[in-house]
Amino acid sequence: MLERHETDILILGSGGAGLFAALHAKQSAPELRVTVAVKGLMGKCGCTRMVQGGYNVALAPGDSVERHFMDTIQGGKWLPDQDLAWKLCVTAVTRVRELENEVGCFFDRNPDGTLHHKAFAGQTFDRTVHKGDLTGIEIVNRLMEQVLALPVERMEEHRALALIPTTDGEALSGVLLVDMRSGVFRLVQARAVLLATGGGPTMYRYHTPSGEKSMDGLAMALRSGLALRDMEMVQFHPTGLLAGVDTWMTGTVLEEGLRGAGGHLLNGAGHRFMFDIDPDGERATRDIVSRGIYDEMRKGNTTPNGGVHIAMGHLGPDTVRRDFKGMVKRCADCGFDLAAGLVEVVPTAHYFMGGIICDTETRTELDGLFVAGEDAGGVHGANRLGGNGVANSTVYGGVAGDVMAAFVGDRAPLRDPDEDLVRAEIARARHPFSKAPGDLNGLRQTLMDLMWEAVGVMRTGDDLRRAAGELADLETELLEIGLADDHMVFNLSWHDWLNLRSLVEVSRVIAAAALSRENSRGAHFREDFPEPGEMEGSTYTVARMRESGLNVSQRPVSFSRVAPGQSLIDEAEAAP
Amino acid sequence: MSQAKEADLHVWRGDGNGGGLVRYAVPLRDSQTVLDAVTWIQRRLEPGLSFRFACRVGMCGTCAMTVNGKPRWTCRTRLKDVVENGRVVIAPLENLPVIKDLACDFSSFFGKWGKAGGRFAATATRLDAVAAIRPDSRRRRLADAGIECINCGVCYSACDVVRWNPAYLGPAALNRSWTLVNDERDGGREKRLRAVAGAGGCHNCHSHQGCATLCPNELNPTLSIAGLKRATALAVLKGEM
Repeated sequence: MLERHETDILILGSGGAGLFAALHAKQSAPELRVTVAVKGLMGKCGCTRMVQGGYNVALAPGDSVERHFMDTIQGGKWLPDQDLAWKLCVTAVTRVRELENEVGCFFDRNPDGTLHHKAFAGQTFDRTVHKGDLTGIEIVNRLMEQVLALPVERMEEHRALALIPTTDGEALSGVLLVDMRSGVFRLVQARAVLLATGGGPTMYRYHTPSGEKSMDGLAMALRSGLALRDMEMVQFHPTGLLAGVDTWMTGTVLEEGLRGAGGHLLNGAGHRFMFDIDPDGERATRDIVSRGIYDEMRKGNTTPNGGVHIAMGHLGPDTVRRDFKGMVKRCADCGFDLAAGLVEVVPTAHYFMGGIICDTETRTELDGLFVAGEDAGGVHGANRLGGNGVANSTVYGGVAGDVMAAFVGDRAPLRDPDEDLVRAEIARARHPFSKAPGDLNGLRQTLMDLMWEAVGVMRTGDDLRRAAGELADLETELLEIGLADDHMVFNLSWHDWLNLRSLVEVSRVIAAAALSRENSRGAHFREDFPEPGEMEGSTYTVARMRESGLNVSQRPVSFSRVAPGQSLIDEAEAAP
Repeated sequence: MSQAKEADLHVWRGDGNGGGLVRYAVPLRDSQTVLDAVTWIQRRLEPGLSFRFACRVGMCGTCAMTVNGKPRWTCRTRLKDVVENGRVVIAPLENLPVIKDLACDFSSFFGKWGKAGGRFAATATRLDAVAAIRPDSRRRRLADAGIECINCGVCYSACDVVRWNPAYLGPAALNRSWTLVNDERDGGREKRLRAVAGAGGCHNCHSHQGCATLCPNELNPTLSIAGLKRATALAVLKGEM
């Protein structure tokens, strides 16, 4: 069954990007119909909400947008799109004031009442604005309240299935969705569509994003022939909780601050191994610590569940309880004593730097399609600084709202959809109902193990080629696995199947892009090409699905604002 | 006595038209939450089982269910801690309409959030500096006391007054309202106090403390509601309302 629906602006996702887009679109053009479609409940799913650390912004006395920008470029190993990164740093200043003054976020203060900025890894200035260690909840709750109070149409528990262009493919017509509660397919035609579904690399054995994430946005973009960049760049957080199999606890983040405060990482034999690798020990950057732990795991120097231990007790259990109240309580609820005991940890897939190529106005190459947040590529390059993720989603979500309102105001038409494609996409989504049940759980585990072992923290050409072949086989196997139950109402198993299809498709692109980059930058580490290569000649990967198959090419980075070896801040000033 | 290897989960299955408990045997593990057990059932025993969750770490507040008669975050409740004589009863939250099995419709809950004035009313713009507010000021401390609510619905589900009076705004929405009343940047105080003083408002609360006892974030909505009662009474005395 297919229901048809029309709106002016359709926003997919309700994290920081989607909510900000809705807010700004309504502020810019209150008369427009704005629809938010989201896979979970409005403001209650997605990853902005899960931000612990905070929001990077050059607001503190002595800090500057130039300095924030240079940290972002250097953190991204010279791969970021410099115009996107510049606009991020400039607009973050207004956006944080907007969040505090207009949206109502109540960020933490210094004793004198001014905004508190905390130190965060990889940055030369204390610039991370926060609300305790639950910054994302404060941002998304306040945004959600503002959007709920507006006449914005909500389509909750609606899964986007496909971008539907016009028959000639020249522009976007709308999006095919399925109402997960009823199983009804819904075609929403819109004059402008924002893709803000978030990334979330959950195809790894250990991962942090929320459970509904499956990179549907990038999978849809790929099938629509859009160009994706930096798809090899998967950020691993070094300390995910390791609680064994068959538990959602495994992979969830134990915060960065534990290492910063002086936590020790111990291998299975009790040896504090990080100083064997880096003079900064546990306080080295995320990528270095992740590789250090991964190497211990490969050598078999592991704890009972196959990871390493984090130990905090030497700092004094009461101190740990006081300074990391939320973390200690979460661990305790699940049976672990973080304050005084040992807790098993593993590196865990955290954030996806890659995404759809777009300009600073969030426009994509498909007319009528805009992108913001983790679905967009280029802001972070090879590595994202902690605190730049929520800045990215809120800055560019707001930009998208303004730009789409103007775009629609310029009489962007409602366009007729490619009806053949609508039928084909419905059939594609219904595919598993035509097959006999199979071992979906086994296939999920195979995918997660393969990505972890061959396309994960450390990579080699041989492993990546093997992975490419095995991923193709997995896709074939998935298409033979059906569902036991043919009802479509709130059928989580059906959505598990659809999630896996998106994940396998995007995994294939990650493996191909990783094979294509024959150097090591930021989050991407090739054991067979461990050097970063010349910064001056930096290229970024561009992946695109063509009729002949997946194509990955290299494009030179445009150093439009600063070239390697240069800085926008002078040397004396650059010293923190 | 050897340790039990399995637990009997009695899971409510049905929809808005009714339903009942169905028994599933789930292997007990050392590291296992109620959410893990429910997921295990869906993945291994009953692919049609419907429930809701997202973040899995106590941040989104969408996985709350009624466990042995009490509303809890299932992602942060160890199965072992709630097994009683080898069994656990898992049902959807109360005071909210069921969509299917363990998933409820939160529309009324969020509707009341808005009705209680649960939205910051700006008095400054993005062009202004951020207000200087000392963290030890009385009003900031009062605002901070309730600000970390994640709108999970546990208190709402536990509230007897909501059960008796479906028009009652409920502890979560009123707690948010009180937090904003204490927010010195906010410009909506008068309207908000009026919204919570009327029918279905704060004066319905009987201080049964169910909300404060069960809030997984250890907030105290009863105390917030008491604050609203005082503030609205004072506003009436002063002729402000």
